Amino acid sequence: MKRGLITWDQARVPPSAFATRLDALNQLMERHAVPALAVYTDVWRSNDVRYVSNYMPYWNRAFAVVARAEKPVLLCSLSPRVYPWIKTVTIHETVVPSPSLPIQLLKLATDRGWSRLGILDFDGLPYDLHTQIRAERLEIVDIPRELARAAPDAAEIAMHRHAAAIAREALSGELIEAAIGMSEFSLIGRIERVVRRAGAEDLVAMVSDGRRGLRSATGESVGRNTSIMAAVEYSGHWAKVSRNVAGVISPPSSLERTGYMETLSGCYPWQPVQRQALPDAAVVALQVELDGGAGVRLFYGDTCLRHAGRTELL
Amino acid sequence: MMLNEPRHRQYLDLMHERGWERLLFYGDGWRKENFRCLLNRNFCGAQILGSLHRSGQVDVVVTDPSDLEYLGPSVNGRIELSLQPTLGLEQLLGQSQVRSIAINGMEHMPAGLVRQVAEACGSVPLSATLEIEELRRIKTPQEIAWIRQAARLADRGYEYFVEVAQIGMSEFELVAEVESFVKANGAEDNFMLVASGGTEVTGMKPPTQRRFERGDSITTELTPQINGYYAQICRTLVMGEPNAQQRQAYAIFAEAQQAAQDLLRPGVDISDVARVQNDVFRAHGFGEYTGPQYTRVRGHNLGLYPDELPHVLENVHYICKPNMIVIAHPNTYLPLSGYMVFGDTLLVTEDGCVSLSNTPKKLFQT
Repeated sequence: MKRGLITWDQARVPPSAFATRLDALNQLMERHAVPALAVYTDVWRSNDVRYVSNYMPYWNRAFAVVARAEKPVLLCSLSPRVYPWIKTVTIHETVVPSPSLPIQLLKLATDRGWSRLGILDFDGLPYDLHTQIRAERLEIVDIPRELARAAPDAAEIAMHRHAAAIAREALSGELIEAAIGMSEFSLIGRIERVVRRAGAEDLVAMVSDGRRGLRSATGESVGRNTSIMAAVEYSGHWAKVSRNVAGVISPPSSLERTGYMETLSGCYPWQPVQRQALPDAAVVALQVELDGGAGVRLFYGDTCLRHAGRTELL
Repeated sequence: MMLNEPRHRQYLDLMHERGWERLLFYGDGWRKENFRCLLNRNFCGAQILGSLHRSGQVDVVVTDPSDLEYLGPSVNGRIELSLQPTLGLEQLLGQSQVRSIAINGMEHMPAGLVRQVAEACGSVPLSATLEIEELRRIKTPQEIAWIRQAARLADRGYEYFVEVAQIGMSEFELVAEVESFVKANGAEDNFMLVASGGTEVTGMKPPTQRRFERGDSITTELTPQINGYYAQICRTLVMGEPNAQQRQAYAIFAEAQQAAQDLLRPGVDISDVARVQNDVFRAHGFGEYTGPQYTRVRGHNLGLYPDELPHVLENVHYICKPNMIVIAHPNTYLPLSGYMVFGDTLLVTEDGCVSLSNTPKKLFQT
């Protein structure tokens, strides 16, 4: 769960990056003849709103509502006591307390005189919100995600690259011969310390003992055949990196050709994707299982940018 | 088989009682409890779906190959990997002629998936979330044992928190140290918020880059998870010698928490557990700081989710039962000290409650 550093890394994502994104959303709204676009976020589905405004909820749900030619308004289920902090890490200047998101969304539409509203991936909204919003006298236009998020921009790529660098550094520093004999829990704890001190917001780590696949740590001893998959989130941008104590790697071409692929550009932190279904450009995690001999299974993977059929390590 | 057998039986009884032919359990990375209450194993895919038949058979659709292998031995029916956003619902329901389906976690399920279920069975599915929550609220002996373990780890985690916190350290560095500690000691996950400073601090949030200064109050709620189950502890640490206002504030918090602990027992309305805490603040002239402008809740249930219902609030009515796990925490802002926290994880027994937290009840200082 997110409880690491949530910040606005303005060196990598300057205010101009958000201005460019909002310009593109304005054009999208114009094409769909909607006066505003609502974008949903929660703890697990925060990719879209952090793209719009850098808001990443550590808890609860929210909508960022982008009205044409205006800065986005945040309808927020968190307490107003944290709004001053939210304003320091996002572009939001207006945060509206919203114990009920549908009611507040409707109120905003009524106050602004909107009879139509675009909602990004309306069909993908949680059922309770979808049902309540659909019941209102407001015409909803379902805007597909891929229209708003066609390809990761340079700022996003830089952030994913930084998240990958944190993950790689943690694994190269901790997944070493000296780790052999310590418990899986201890090893995960050491990795946790390194990535969080480097400014990571979240870490999900899975372990394989060389006999079985990746799973949560169980406290067994780390051995030469141990592999770790570390999914690291840096300011809302995820990277997945897998390494093994044995130091066995996969050539990039093999990783690209045979690796299990997940997109990190979807609405979830990661989700499986078939190569043929991948958009023209996306940040992906690739992972392969390597034969360590005598039935030993080793895991290796990394985070890459797929663009125009080519794969580049981030 | 990692099915929680007593729960499994309860779900089958509920299906029989309600006439549901199939009970689905939908989880995602945020609300894992809606799946893990069926099959208590962690998963790392973005989504997961379990399907319980009246026969007791459990089918599962996962979205990550690791989950396929890890959960496979625990599933007595089919387990499949779906690379599609439809989660393989066509296969799961398509050929079975099921007409009556309920879903645990339906509120969090993408609307498009719910519609697919409706199309497959010819009617809108029902939400089972509230009824399953009510079952889960009363913990089994095994679940209580896991929460006891989590509470012990919370104690050790807080001891470490006090040990490593120092002037000049940033909030996120402290959280990194404590997260590392609880993970190294077996926590599967941990929910933790923090705040630091003086009377300007109005609430906790994720850690920032702010560095600790002498006289700061550092507040935290530490919530480690063992085998899926959370326990929580809330304490306040002062960097250096607490001033008179911090001590005065702490005395009020301690009195309020003790009032809740003294009252909590089967048959008590949870609203009264909130009221007795707020009454302490009122008696000291700080009643206005018990409302939503300054605080969220006066406690909540704990289990497979760190913020389970019912919340402890004066306008929430629920009659407490044995074997519920509740944290009573009168956390709020006071002008004396800024935001302050204090709370223990409590197990409701047959005639009262016991604290599962062993951390000393005091205002900590470095």
